[in-house]
Amino acid sequence: MAEQSRRCSYFFLYDASKVTGESDPTRDGICYFYPEETPIDKQELLCGQLAGVGRCVSELSSSPVRFLRLHRNKYAIRMKDDFFWALGCSAEVPTISVCELLDQLINIFCFYNGSVRQSYQMNTRETLAARWARYLSNLQSASSELHHIFSSLKTIDSTNVDPLLLLKAALILQACQRCPLVLAGCVLFRGRVLSTQMSPQLTMKVMVHESETYTKVRHDSCSKCLAVSSTTVFLTLSELQYLQSPPVDKLSRSHSTPQKDAPPKKTRLSRTLSDMASTESDSSDPGPSQRISFSPWLSDSDNSSFSLAPPQIIADPQSPPPQSPVPPLSNGKNSREAEEALKDSFYQSFHSNGDGDGFIHNNGDSSVFEGNSHFSGGEGDGGTACGNVFDLQGAESHDDEAMVGDGGVGCGRAQGRHKAQQRDLSPLVPMTLYLHRVKGLVLALLVEPHFLSDTASMEEVYHSSLASLNGLEAHLRTISSGAPGTPGPYIFAHFDCIQSTLTTNLSGGPGGALEHPFVRATSLLHLHFCNTETLQEAIIRSAGAAVYGTRSVAQETYFQQQGGSLRNSGIPNHQDSAFLLPSKARHRLLKHGVNLL
Amino acid sequence: MKCLLIASESAEVLFYWTDPEFQQNIQNQYGASQEEGHGLPAFEDSISTLFAPIIISCSTMVDRLGDSYTSFTTENNHVYVLHQFDECLYIAVNGDGEEGEDDLRRKIYVMKKMIEVLFGMVTLSSNLIRRELRPQDTEQRARLWKHLQSLLETYSHLRENDQSFLVEAVERLIHPMLCEQCIEFLEKRLVQQLNSSTERAGEEVLHAFILVHTKLLAFFSSRNASTLATSDLLALIIMTQNMYPSNTDVDDPGPESMSGSGPESFYTPEPSPTDRDSGSSDKPEGVTTPVFEFMDPDIQMAEDSLQTLEGPPPDPSMPRRVFLEISSKEGLYPMMPHSMYCLPLWPGIKLVLLTKIPTNNVASSVYKYLEAFAKLEKRLSEGQEGYAATRGQLTIHDLRSKLDKFIKALGPSDLQSAQLQNAWTEFKNRAFGRGGPGFTKDLIPWCKNMKTQLCSIYRQCFLVDSGPGSVPQRLSPGLQERALTMVQEKLVDWKDFLLVKSKRNITMVSYLEDFPGLIHFICVDRSTGQMIAPSLNITEHASSELGKGPVAHFIKSKVWSFVSRSRDFLRKGYSTITLRDGDFYFCYFLWFENETGYKLEAGDIPILPDDSAPIGMLAWDYYRKLLRYYSKNHQGEVVKCYELLTVHLGVIPTEIILQHCRQLASKLWEPSRNPLL
Repeated sequence: MAEQSRRCSYFFLYDASKVTGESDPTRDGICYFYPEETPIDKQELLCGQLAGVGRCVSELSSSPVRFLRLHRNKYAIRMKDDFFWALGCSAEVPTISVCELLDQLINIFCFYNGSVRQSYQMNTRETLAARWARYLSNLQSASSELHHIFSSLKTIDSTNVDPLLLLKAALILQACQRCPLVLAGCVLFRGRVLSTQMSPQLTMKVMVHESETYTKVRHDSCSKCLAVSSTTVFLTLSELQYLQSPPVDKLSRSHSTPQKDAPPKKTRLSRTLSDMASTESDSSDPGPSQRISFSPWLSDSDNSSFSLAPPQIIADPQSPPPQSPVPPLSNGKNSREAEEALKDSFYQSFHSNGDGDGFIHNNGDSSVFEGNSHFSGGEGDGGTACGNVFDLQGAESHDDEAMVGDGGVGCGRAQGRHKAQQRDLSPLVPMTLYLHRVKGLVLALLVEPHFLSDTASMEEVYHSSLASLNGLEAHLRTISSGAPGTPGPYIFAHFDCIQSTLTTNLSGGPGGALEHPFVRATSLLHLHFCNTETLQEAIIRSAGAAVYGTRSVAQETYFQQQGGSLRNSGIPNHQDSAFLLPSKARHRLLKHGVNLL
Repeated sequence: MKCLLIASESAEVLFYWTDPEFQQNIQNQYGASQEEGHGLPAFEDSISTLFAPIIISCSTMVDRLGDSYTSFTTENNHVYVLHQFDECLYIAVNGDGEEGEDDLRRKIYVMKKMIEVLFGMVTLSSNLIRRELRPQDTEQRARLWKHLQSLLETYSHLRENDQSFLVEAVERLIHPMLCEQCIEFLEKRLVQQLNSSTERAGEEVLHAFILVHTKLLAFFSSRNASTLATSDLLALIIMTQNMYPSNTDVDDPGPESMSGSGPESFYTPEPSPTDRDSGSSDKPEGVTTPVFEFMDPDIQMAEDSLQTLEGPPPDPSMPRRVFLEISSKEGLYPMMPHSMYCLPLWPGIKLVLLTKIPTNNVASSVYKYLEAFAKLEKRLSEGQEGYAATRGQLTIHDLRSKLDKFIKALGPSDLQSAQLQNAWTEFKNRAFGRGGPGFTKDLIPWCKNMKTQLCSIYRQCFLVDSGPGSVPQRLSPGLQERALTMVQEKLVDWKDFLLVKSKRNITMVSYLEDFPGLIHFICVDRSTGQMIAPSLNITEHASSELGKGPVAHFIKSKVWSFVSRSRDFLRKGYSTITLRDGDFYFCYFLWFENETGYKLEAGDIPILPDDSAPIGMLAWDYYRKLLRYYSKNHQGEVVKCYELLTVHLGVIPTEIILQHCRQLASKLWEPSRNPLL
């Protein structure tokens, strides 16, 4: 039932440029409408009215409408050029989640199809309608209500998985990156993230394709012929710049002196993962092997990147500074150039930062280095570093909105992200998504388009990872079937804002009646945390449940004690069990790896 | 960038208010096509043109989808809130980040409340209220709109600066001895004397109260009066504050700084000669209520010329007609006519008298009939027919004979009663006649017509001046003068004390020793609609307890935002909230007690949708409904509802904070249990 209420009730894309004259029927402008079985006159009514009123309001306020509420439904809105998107959910869904859902949907479309206008010039409406429908159903199939609230990535339940396997997945990705045509990648198992080098947003986009091919594979018996596949995808300039910028890894430099050969960690790694040794030794490219380093999830440099000014390269992609590693590639793109630039920038970063003072240097006015600095978290956890960039944008615009936040619009963070996406609607650069599937396990890599024609590179990547993937799959297959533990005397949810991952002991399945108060409280508190930066801790109690929520820059944690008598008079009482929640949460959650101290 | 607009379904502007930024914005968008000289109609036109697509889309959505817009948010964080009351669409806009959706919705509801207080049951007929809000005569329209605009501004100013309007409960002056003396004085001397005078012209003083700025010093209700609802009392305070604005920003109150002249000075000018010494020129620049500071020069000019056109200002001793709720044995009567006399004792101190007017029973009859026809209409539209449709408190035959008598008593002398007579004859023919449709759906239009005619009668009786020449209905000016003098004599020695006391009602200093780390608290008794809180004076000139300037402002803004946050949670069913926000720790508790002070178990609190009416007591009494809801499980017991909100320093251990809260909750009402209301 809860799952049902999550579902988006309406989604449409309306193209006002198709309805300009008095006599043009509204239906001409409807590019896609979900649910498709909606009677055409109702489709016309909704599209016509919402787009019309949206235009009127944006004229009055000189700004596009972002959100529109009716008594029964609420709509996230995006207006861009003549296009008008609206995604409607029932009134109970948190505003912020509706906005994020729409942003994700549009971003996924652009990721796989390029610019919306061009797509509609090159394809029929029917073809694209099928795609919108697929992306929409994909997004709605997230595993639980909590995942929807946080828009979090579906990850493998790390408590059931040997940490060595996670490490192994990370190493596979790094090994692949030794090929200069490989930008970044992720390893997925049965539709869940095992390891990723990309930002949560980018990982989420890649996963859409994976889950589609996964369904296909399950239907097709011939899984071998689908083992390796590829598809064209489109990255925004900021995403690309970000992936192409070389790591400026202060930590790795200080920990492992930059010897061009024989990275010190290599031997240690090959001891634990014997099959890695061979791939490592295949390495002939000394540059990227430098990047093998493991920094803590949140290293100091990560933290400091929060205080950086917003990266100008994102704000102004049209005018890259002279040293920019990425020449404008929007049309007639020359990937050779890009590659050259990539090498150049490697060179630059190695030399300019050689004295270990690189980070401070980066704080200078060079936007290239600002971009780089986000990578300082280290290659091993690319996700972390990327997360910073995206959250940085969120935080930046959040500042502007902090004053309004209290007003209860509840779109603070979503709007923050949205601003980022506005910029992201700038030129898209085609790249290739390469997938290598071993049953439920998938290696997904973002590669330069000519990777596919470069047989040597393909062979290298394929063979270097094949054995490891097989081994990994064999291990995962045996353990991953563990059912989520039944909630004990307490419920918790822990959201990592940087990696966009969620840890919880909630099953997310049916029988959520008991859990519903927790989910409701979590959703409400999450909204308040998003709207007010200074809010750190909260306890809220209704007649049925008391929930404790706490957050830091990097995480949000929610905790509810199950059972026990909640009888109280509501009058202030320090012996009240509700006020013991913080200390209980601190103790109970330690064993889940959540440290609230 | 703020705006509030009331429009009819056909996009006709029934009222608007904008701040100068919004007006500028509209004018820029509308282009320079506007001609100088007639600012008001031209601006009205452009605002109507620009909002028309939204208004029309609203009615299309209602008609075809059965749903309507409640809000829009743009990427630059402009917020639009829409609410439809019958056929009037209210739109409130904010583009400067100072108000959120909830604030705007509250503003809309408050505006509606003020219109109800001013127009009573005329608001029940869309047709009539539309004409009432938008008089044909442009000068009359300008005058009415300006009055409403200034009420709205007064309210906004109070909501932003006065804690009692923040939490929507009445704040009393805490001085038990003086309060008691004053109540006794009001009862034994003032009201008795007024009600036994021959100069009262048939009016009867029901309530008398003394306000020091917005705070209540004493309140007395005569024995046969019903309780004055908190909602009405708060609305009346807004009105008195609008007539005689307090300059609350000046710390040291004195007759000179308390200007008695304000936005309404031409509308309801200074009635009292005692006020003559304080002209508007004494008002310090820039710190007054921001009512007219940003006045558009065109409008100002138009208004100025209006005043000269109008001739002499209205008689200061003329009472205000206000429509207030009455609860009697027979039930609840909303919007019953009263006369309000607001007599300024000294700047900042007012005596308010509420009287029952002689024709009061016409209003209650009209209400009963209106209710009967509304119920009948509802049943008919639900498809019930014949006898089933006519069930109700009043049987249809009762109604018939009573209404016959009522119309007869009105007399056919004037046009209005003649029209009612006709409508009633038509209705009877159709409902009871052999050839008529009887009690079926076809009768609905005739029900509607009866309702409109009844509202017209009500309007005729209570809203329209009896015309020039006739003697106005009121307590005689001499009697009013005597009342004023009596109270002035009583309070003359207290005057300065009261003005200071109203700024420093209770102070945090007295709590610091017992509650180290406590920064602020607000305690509200929702059953009586009263609140207690240490004063939070943010002034330019003197430092308050919270320190000076930015720190005090910061704490004030924190308190304001915490109140709105606690409402967000309350709306979703949470009655206990603690938050750690920056360097502060906030607590909010709502609980129920019975009459003996026994704490009742916390019950379920209804979960409301995001776009529900604002939580408070002024425009929509949430707490009355909450008490009714809660009392269902406590039959036969008087249930009381309390709220406590505290702000502590974040470094204080939580256990200590909670102990403080407990102590405050149990002690706060003890020293000051006054039979004030």
